[in-house]
Amino acid sequence: MRNTILTIASVGLAALALYLLSHMQGTSGLLSALTLIFIWGIAAVSLNLINGQLGILSLGHHGFMLIGGYVTALLMLPAKERRPFRTRLLSDWARNDLDLDKWLRGLGLDTIANSVDLKFVIALFLAGLAAAFIGIIVGAPSLRLKGDYLAIVTFGFGEIIRLLPNAPQVAAFTNGPLGIKGIPGNAGSIWWTFVVFLLVIWFFSRLKFSSYGRAFEGIREDEIAAEAMGVGLAYHKVLAFTLSAFFAGVAGGLYASYLQSVDTQTFNFFVTFFLLVAISLGGLGSITGAVLGTAIVILVRIYGGFLEESHTAFVGYISGAAVMLAAFAFSVYIRKSRRLRPVVEPKHYIFGGLGILLLLVALLFQGQPWMTQKVQFFGMRRILLAVILILIMIYRREGLMGRAELAWNKVFGSREDIPSDEQRDQDAWLSNPDLNPGAAKEDDDASA
Amino acid sequence: MTASKTTSRATLITIIITLLLVALLGWRFYSLGNYTLARATQDFLNALTLGSLYALIALGYTMVYGIIRLINFAHGDIFMLGSYLAFYAMALTPMHWAAALLVTILLGGTVLLVIRALFNLEEPKKTITLALLLFAGTFFLLAFRHMGWIEALLLSMLATGVAGVLLEAVAYRPLRGAPRESMLITAIAASFFLENLGQLLFGPRVRGFNAETILNKPLSFSIGHDTVYFTGILVMVPLITALLLFVLNTFVSRTKLGKAMRATAQDAEVAQMMGVNVNQVIALTFFIGSILAAAAGVMYSIRFGQIHPLMGLMPGIKAFTAAVIGGIGSLPGAVLGGLLLGMIEIYAVSLFPTLSAYRDVFAFVLLILIMLFRPSGLVGEDLTEKV
Repeated sequence: MRNTILTIASVGLAALALYLLSHMQGTSGLLSALTLIFIWGIAAVSLNLINGQLGILSLGHHGFMLIGGYVTALLMLPAKERRPFRTRLLSDWARNDLDLDKWLRGLGLDTIANSVDLKFVIALFLAGLAAAFIGIIVGAPSLRLKGDYLAIVTFGFGEIIRLLPNAPQVAAFTNGPLGIKGIPGNAGSIWWTFVVFLLVIWFFSRLKFSSYGRAFEGIREDEIAAEAMGVGLAYHKVLAFTLSAFFAGVAGGLYASYLQSVDTQTFNFFVTFFLLVAISLGGLGSITGAVLGTAIVILVRIYGGFLEESHTAFVGYISGAAVMLAAFAFSVYIRKSRRLRPVVEPKHYIFGGLGILLLLVALLFQGQPWMTQKVQFFGMRRILLAVILILIMIYRREGLMGRAELAWNKVFGSREDIPSDEQRDQDAWLSNPDLNPGAAKEDDDASA
Repeated sequence: MTASKTTSRATLITIIITLLLVALLGWRFYSLGNYTLARATQDFLNALTLGSLYALIALGYTMVYGIIRLINFAHGDIFMLGSYLAFYAMALTPMHWAAALLVTILLGGTVLLVIRALFNLEEPKKTITLALLLFAGTFFLLAFRHMGWIEALLLSMLATGVAGVLLEAVAYRPLRGAPRESMLITAIAASFFLENLGQLLFGPRVRGFNAETILNKPLSFSIGHDTVYFTGILVMVPLITALLLFVLNTFVSRTKLGKAMRATAQDAEVAQMMGVNVNQVIALTFFIGSILAAAAGVMYSIRFGQIHPLMGLMPGIKAFTAAVIGGIGSLPGAVLGGLLLGMIEIYAVSLFPTLSAYRDVFAFVLLILIMLFRPSGLVGEDLTEKV
């Protein structure tokens, strides 16, 4: 009861904060960052369901997001605005009859057809359904595989889905590599993403502690044991995969409508990589962690822009040296704290040596023209993300949160989910046949 | 990595597939009429070249997978690194003597250390000879004249091999014994790291790879009434590939280190108990795989004439598909798969021009079909996990 009230109160507070933010001046950057965190948070939480809770590495998430994005775009765009699309096979149908407006009016739902918001809800839902349908098609055959084979197959499916919109036979729908532009929709306003995000989080946190969630975690820990306990492997895997694809589609739809355009480069493999960094950083298997990781990664992407501005080569050399020396110091620190000998491994001298070399070069040739020219470091943020992911995998595989969630009980220190010593003793007495001979007998009766 | 047991089956399958391809070709030939023998020859040369390149890259995937069960996602980017190193070797020579000396000391020193550790050259005499050879050779190549493609190829192969060893030491070795999913994620991250580092260091734009050799001169010969047009590189690639394969085969089957590699691939733990230095063998595997990838990268760049930092993506994935087709973990399988994939790609596009938009999709469809219905590939061992 207390927890419910606290949850509602904090959601209300968050909504109030958002309301104040959206009415203040100069907060548009922060608001778009929050919108992106909500959208990508949905995608990360849905990927977390497979990669974290079910323990299956899936690399095809960008495909499902792409399907969601394209379906939303096609449904929201009025048919007459799609005239410049190339006319090929199926194009008459695509031009005249693929129109949510027309369908709704055909069903006599004029009130919905007149409102962009309600249409957007329906379009998002249909986008999720389309992605979920493809999710079943992809998942049913490939989930028989395990480990890296499964990862590669899902990767292959994701890339096929990404390459298909460019093919001439489907370009009548998708406008080929040019993509679809001018999508109406309201995901640009933060309220939409906020509400959908809350609903998704609510759904996933209910799912995690339901019997299905327990079954997923059982499969992650040990497939054979889970199967022996009566968990249907194929059913649960395909179910999780489909749910994940559904919410990936929703996130894709939101993102497409936020950008107001969609093409095949919007959802390339970098999307999956980015989500993988987010959930690994937060902790595989934790919903809170997925959101936290997404927030960190988005903030790096948005506020890390200064890394890619043009600096003089001197700055580049100095920061390169700083990174190398920091890596050297970090590795020495790690080995020292783990009491490993030798404290400095030979290969660590490479980092140290390179750092000192860069520093020397920078200081010796300080005034040279090639040292003062402006250089732009493209892709620095992506390099940073890749390095973060490698470091997490090496030094802290459980991420920031592990599998834990943020819960009110933890905030207040009352661990209601953990039994007290008294309860534990009682449980031990109840389940020990030597102390409580009646229990075993009851069980026998029940089974008979 | 066992070859003998499965060779007969591999031969049989190759013959069957070749017959199918020939049948398809003949049917198309008779039904269209404009598919001449000259065009078939040209396609065959193209397919053989592309297939050899795929085979060279696929060997790296398959060797690494055979030994540590890791899909080395970054292998395609190692391939990219190889072609960029050759590009710069050709573009920047002859260097100023001081710069050449600096590069010689850095590069030669690293290569010397790595090779010494990999090939057990403990004797001082051997080390000194190797050092002299390396330093003098590198300095000579860098300082005095414009480098030709053969020298650039050799230098790039050495340097890329060392880069592969460093990648393994920095990114993969700390994860030895970790879950395979973590290793795969690390490999993906390493791939992204190398791609973006390539964009940072080499610039994101496409560059022309002008090798200025006789290999790029157009040649021709005539069959019947038609003429076949080709370039020297189309003949050179299969020849160099065959040479490299011969050397690799000799190394793996005849030397002590090759035996250690095969033993590690069969069972790393037992091999370690028998006195094999598993870490050394794994580093050696990365060294050889990266060398082959660099050779493929340089030849690929000469063949297609341009390089850019993301060039490793598609060839990498296709070569991985080739390794899977042949049966991942098997060396003859990788070569077979590479050649087969090259044939399929070239002939499918040549015979059915409407399919050319799906050229890249082929590889993925094939990959998924093989993974789903025959995960062990054409000649590979059965890798399904048992309870």
